[in-house]
Order: sequence, then structure tokens, then C-alpha cells
Amino acid sequence: MKILSRILALLLLCQLGFAQEVDDGDPLLNRPADRTYDIILESGYLKVGVYENFPPYSYQVDGEPRGIDVEIGKRIAEEMGVEFRVHWIVPDENLGDDLRNNVWKGHYLAKRRLADVMMRVPYDKKYAYMQDSTGEYINEQVVLFGPYQQETWQIAFNPEKLDAVDTVAVFQYHPIGVEIDTLPDFYLSSGLQGRLRSQVRHYTNVREAFAAMRNGEVSAVMGMRAEIDHEMSRPENGDFQPASNGFPAIGKQVWDVGMAIKHTHRQLGYALEAIIGDLVKSGDLQSLFAQLDLRYSVPQYYREFLSEEALAKAAGEL
Amino acid sequence: MRTNKFGIRIATSALALAVSYGAHAVTDKDIMNDHKTPEDVVSYGMGTQGQRYSILEDLNTSNVQHLQPAWAFSFGSEKMRGQESQPLIKDGVMYVTASYSRVYAIDARTGEEIWQYDARLPDGIMPCCDVVNRGVALYDDKVIFGTLDAKLVALNKDTGKPMWIKKVADYQAGYAITAAPIVVKGKVITGVSGGEFGIVGKVEAYDANTGDVVWTRPTVEGHMGYVYKDGKKVENGISGGKAGVTWPGDMWKNGGAATWLGGTYDPDTDSLFFGTGNPAPWNSHLRPGDNLFSSSRLAIDPDDGSIKWHFQTTPHDGWDYDGVNELISFDLNENGKTIKAAATADRNGFFYVLNRENGDFIRGFPFVDKITWAEGLDPKTGRPIYTKGGRPGDPAAMEGSKGEVVVAQPAFLGGKNWMPMAYSQDTELFYVPSNEWSMDIWNEPVSYKKGAAFLGAGFTIKPANDDYIGVLRAMDPKTGKEVWRYENTAPLWGGVMTTAGNLVFTGTPEGYLKAFDAKTGEELYRFNTGSGVVGTPVTWTMDGEQYVSVASGWGGAVPLWGGEVAKVVKDFNQGGTVWTFKLPKDRVASK
Repeated sequence: MKILSRILALLLLCQLGFAQEVDDGDPLLNRPADRTYDIILESGYLKVGVYENFPPYSYQVDGEPRGIDVEIGKRIAEEMGVEFRVHWIVPDENLGDDLRNNVWKGHYLAKRRLADVMMRVPYDKKYAYMQDSTGEYINEQVVLFGPYQQETWQIAFNPEKLDAVDTVAVFQYHPIGVEIDTLPDFYLSSGLQGRLRSQVRHYTNVREAFAAMRNGEVSAVMGMRAEIDHEMSRPENGDFQPASNGFPAIGKQVWDVGMAIKHTHRQLGYALEAIIGDLVKSGDLQSLFAQLDLRYSVPQYYREFLSEEALAKAAGEL
Repeated sequence: MRTNKFGIRIATSALALAVSYGAHAVTDKDIMNDHKTPEDVVSYGMGTQGQRYSILEDLNTSNVQHLQPAWAFSFGSEKMRGQESQPLIKDGVMYVTASYSRVYAIDARTGEEIWQYDARLPDGIMPCCDVVNRGVALYDDKVIFGTLDAKLVALNKDTGKPMWIKKVADYQAGYAITAAPIVVKGKVITGVSGGEFGIVGKVEAYDANTGDVVWTRPTVEGHMGYVYKDGKKVENGISGGKAGVTWPGDMWKNGGAATWLGGTYDPDTDSLFFGTGNPAPWNSHLRPGDNLFSSSRLAIDPDDGSIKWHFQTTPHDGWDYDGVNELISFDLNENGKTIKAAATADRNGFFYVLNRENGDFIRGFPFVDKITWAEGLDPKTGRPIYTKGGRPGDPAAMEGSKGEVVVAQPAFLGGKNWMPMAYSQDTELFYVPSNEWSMDIWNEPVSYKKGAAFLGAGFTIKPANDDYIGVLRAMDPKTGKEVWRYENTAPLWGGVMTTAGNLVFTGTPEGYLKAFDAKTGEELYRFNTGSGVVGTPVTWTMDGEQYVSVASGWGGAVPLWGGEVAKVVKDFNQGGTVWTFKLPKDRVASK
């Protein structure tokens, strides 16, 4: 009964979550509104697409959207002079699916539901210009732009179980928790000729992996740095420490994260790009991360043209 | 209970009189005799063994050209996307499902709607495996089907009103139901569809009258099965005995093996036969071992869900071949003996003949023109002999921007996919809807998931021939020989039916319902239904005339994948219609 009421509460919460959203699609033709820059300004709101249940990036507390991507979305809306409206994204199997379902086409079960802009979209030219076997550009329906953060991998460990994590080789002997079906999962399950494989423990998300570290099931957790930082800032995880090891042969050690819009909405893209660029360069974004106890790295994109001084400002070092 | 039913009868009596259908309840006996009673179709498979063979011979090779449309019924709305349903018919009423978890009761004589039920799907639902539905089960006064949010729903057969609704699994965790349930001894038995990660397949039985769960059987080694007695959950043994025998680490906890295509039942051995999907995670190098009971066929005791035997077609599956395809029971007459056999045509390209009493391998052979991933099958055990270098790459061994490309044939969509084959008791041949295609597959390092770098698999499916992909084949289970073949430009994705009239029926994505001579493969009849046929035809007799019905509406998994196959199918339009044909009485004489 307790479980049942919990499920009911969860369902109710879900509905509330979706209820916050505006349905501005065309009910007759069952398709999303074509929200160009001018239409967005006129409507007075911006629909910002963020992943659901994904702390510290985007999640709900008491029905209210929270997280760094939500905060950035709010800042952007504010700069545009419109209201922030959340568009929750249920993650599909890969980024291409999420872009299709939320940015350019709509999911086939919710065709009227599109975000004006999607957050937390990796900014990678190789990805943006990927071609399929017939030469078509796979991502031609979207524009990926506005990198605002650099993300990386991180391990946290329990110092009662491990003195330090100098290399991942220690996980031949110590259990480590990962979110299932992520790069850390594959990396640890296949690395060192599979010698870590039997020590990898799978969880639905990083928060559950930390719970397992608290009860002694695992000695460490690997995830994205912001996820790890966020968990470690919680009082119940105060005993745990960040590791300083590298991740040899992981494929992608760091990557830039930006935004995506539909390719026909470039004017919106230019406006958002200018806003996010100012937030990065002024150091405002860095302080936003700091307020949430998260470390911040300036995207590689800016490192290629900003001066040392400008970079230091963006990184909050000036 | 009785008064309740009586009450409903009164409420609908006017309607019942108007179309003069009786209020006969479907019994266990009706279901077990379905293959012998051509005046109705009360099971998926036209008989629980799944042979899809009708004893009707009014319609036959000499008069099939006179088969004519009687009526067509539109499912309505904009919800199209693949009609993979098999209609059931009882007392002059057709019960058929459509995509997006919809059910219709239709007057089988006139094509007029009696009722429609649309499952209300939750907001934000992301079904893993498209929105198709493959049909209902009938029992007593109930029409039972599974929904995209992984529920079983029992509707009153006369009113379409829900009598019970049970959650089978959590859709938010990635589960759905698309297969038709099967009813055995008063129990509704269902499997589950699941996404690519984090799920564990299972088979479950529910009391058809109340919807109470009776037993549950996980299909991954290490998970406990349960029976429910007087509302109490009682342990009934761990699948495979214990965890970690054929899986590394804790991977058995999320091993996959979804039972997404449902099952068949053989009364001779009192066994349910369910197939299981691929193991998770996708990349096989992460999970050395056989990974039981993924990509297998399981014989399950219908009374308590115990596994009697298993046969794994693709141990350590690294190609997403699955093992869900239907296992059809048949009597193999060989060397003067009758063997209780069963056969299946696997996604991996091999056709298997098993002893259905114990799961022993009798023989296996390719039913497609080319298989690259295995050199053959061990003649004693049926275990594949893997081709060196035929396994998609190890992510740890990857260098540069793109992993090594491995070509595998058949493609992961399979030598044969979900679409059921048929077995003729007259010709003793299996009629297999198959496809000739290969895939290029590689580890794709430029890949992202949920805001993070990822290591996905890149793949592309390629037709094996320039002018056709689909091949309808007549396969001899005794010799492994192909007796005849019919080649089709587009991939075949619809089920097959055969009849004592020496006919084989199937549909094509080009829109045709086609009939062939079961002995020669000569095409004798075609009718274009207006959209691709990916449903499964049925036949029955009513008022002294033989009818044939099939759902039409292009969709399913094929159009979801791009690449070179898309060129063949991109111009096919979606639809949503059930077409019904009959042979007029005066044409039967021409036999």
C-alpha cells in the first residue's frame, strides 16, 4: 500500500511536471508550432528543453524545476525578456533520438511537443557533420551551437576502503559503481582486458551508486564530474573524496556541452549564442556553477580564440 | 460473477439481436480445438501450436482467383504506423487490434463497428519498440490484450468496457507489451517487450477471470521465479539454478532477454514455448559467457512457470539476433516414426528442428542464402560454429576514429523477424517469410547519450541483392531443402497462413495480399489493400462461405532504419484497415 501510494504520488508529480508545460501545437494538424524568434518574443515565453531526473543538470524539487541547465535557461529567457518555460526530455537511446523527439520533429506519441531550444547537447563538429552510408548529413535538421561548459569524467571513492585512486587498475580488487549503459560502464567493463569487469556494479543513476557506496556495496563511483561534485556536496556523502586518476584510452576524456535548435530557426540561434557567449566570458556562468557547488571548465571552443586574461575571467580566476 | 455477466447481456441484448451474434463464451476447450474448428479463430496462431494451418478447402488453387473483397474497415484517426495484428473471430464478431493499443469489435458479416477501445497511454511514454500490437486473446466473455504501457486489459466482449486492468511491468523502466497474449487452462500468459538496457525479460500468468497474477518466471539466469497461492508470493526456484554462471559480474541483474513476441502452447507435452531476446549490454565483449537464457527458446510449465528445458540458438549473441521467433509444434514423420517435434526459423538465419518433449536438437540448416557469422551448426548440439572475425568489434581494442567494420549476414533485423511462418499438414512444409540482407557494424566513438560521451554501435543495413530483399520460402523440415521460393522487391514483414486448399497466403509491403500454390509456389492471387501488409491473415467459415481477413497498414521496424533499405520502402504510404474477403458460394462448385 505504501508502495502504491508512492507510485501514485510519483505519477501525480509526473503529470504536474508535464502540466507546467505549454501546449502551443496545432491540435487540428497535430503538429508543433513553428516558433521562430519573433514568435517567441511575441508569445512572451521560451520553452527550454532539459533532461528529466538528471541532477545536477535538471530535475525537480517539490514540482519546481531545478539544476544548472534550468538556471542557465532562466538566465537566457531573462536576457531575451521572456518567461522561462520548462520542456522535460525523457532520454531515448542516443542524442540523435533526443534531437528528433524534442527539437525538430517531435515524438510520434506527442507530435505537438517541441522545445524551442535544447540544453546539454554536446558541441562536437564531428558529430554535427556526421554522414550516413548514403552520404546524407545525419544531423542536418538541427543546429548545434553555443557551448557553455566543458564536461569530463570523475571518480569519487570511499577513503575507508581505498587509500587513493592513482589508476583505474585498483578496480581489479575493489567494486565500483556506474550508471548502466554509459561510457563509464563500457570503459570499466572492457578495459585492462576485462580484468575490472567482475567488479563493476550497475545502477540506474549516479545517486543510486552513491547510496551503494554509503552502504559499502562499492568502494567508488564513476560518473560525469558535475554529477560526482553534486553528490559529494550532499551532507550524507561528506566522507567521500574525489580521485585524481586519469582515464587512459577512454576515447573521449572531455567534451564541450552546448545547445540545439531546429535548423530553420537560426535567428533564434544567433540571439541565444550572443547571450550564452556573454554569460561565459563574463564569468557569470562560472559563478552560477559555484553557487551549486560545481566545478566549472571553460569550453575548448573559447580556448581557441580568447586571450589568457579573458579565459581567466571566464574561469572566475580574475 | 454470473449475475454480473447476465446484467451485461441484458444491457446489450438489443445490439446482440440486431446483428444476431450469440453470447457464447470462449472456453478452454474452444481454444485447444481452435485448429479443428474453422467456424472461428480464437487463438493467435490459429491454434495454440501456432501452425497457422486451416483445414478449410472450399477456397483452393482452382477457385482462389474468385476471392473477392466483402468489406474493409478503417481503424480511423491519424494513428497508423504499422498494423501487425492477427484478427480473431467468434460468433460472427471480429476482434482485432491496431497500433497505439487500440481494439475493435466488428460485425464480421458487414464490417460495421460494434465497439472500439483506445487504451489511454500516459504522457511522456517512450515505448522502446514501436507502437504496434499483434492481437487479442479471447476467454469466457473477455477480450484480453497488452498495451504499450505494459498492462494487460480485459474488456467485455459485448461492450468493450474494461473488466480488469493489470500492470505487468513498469513502462517508465522501459517495458511495453506488443504481442498477443495466449490463454491456457484459464490463465492469460504474456511476455514483455523491453528497451536495450536495464530490463529483465519474464513470462507471467494471470487468472483470466480476475486478472490476479498466478506465477512469474524471469528469463535471465539468477532471478527468482514465484507462484502466488491465496494471495501469497511463494518462491519457485531461481531461473537457471543460480546467478553468475554464464554472466560476468552483476550483469545478470540487467540481462535483457525480453519475451517480446509472446509464445505458443503444445497440449501434447503441456508446454508453453516462449522465445527470448538479445542479452544486454549490446556489445558482447563486455559479457563473456553464454548469457542464459538470452536468445533462446524456453519450454515452460503452464501450471507454475517452471522452465522444463531451453535451447539457445545464439549463445553469447553479439549481433542482436534475438531468439524470440515462434516455435511451432508439429509431428515429424520420419523413418516410419512420428516424433513430437517443433521448429523455428531464427533471426540468425538457421532453421531449427527440435524434439519438443526435451528440447533435443534434431537438425538445423540455413533457410537464407548466406550466413557469415557462423560456419554452421554442431550436428549433435545445434550450437553455432562461429566464424573467425565474424563478431562485431571489442570497444577496448578500438583505435582511431571508427572501429573496425564487420559485415554480418543476416542483418540484425534477421533472416526472419517477428512475422510468423506457417506449417501445412498436407505438404509437411514450412512457409517462411524471410529477408536477404546484411549489415555493416562498427563501434562508433563519435556518439553521445544524455549529455555524455558514449560508445554506440554504428550500423547500416544493405540488401544482399539488387532486385529483391524478401523471399517467401517453402522449407522441408526433413531435408533442409528449399522446395520453392517467391522473391519480393521489398522486405517481407507480414505473417503467413496455409490451408488444406493447397494455398499459402501472405502480404507484402507493396500492399498486396497474395495467395500461392502451396506445392509449387505459383502466385495465384493478388489484391492491393492500399497500404503495406505487415499483419497476419486468417481464414474461417461463416454462413457456408469461406472468408479471409488481413490487416493492412505499412510500418513496423523496417521503415525505422535508414540506409539503403529505405530507398526501397520510402514511398510506401501508411494505413490502417482490416480487409475481409470471401469466396461466394456459387464459386465453390468450380472446385
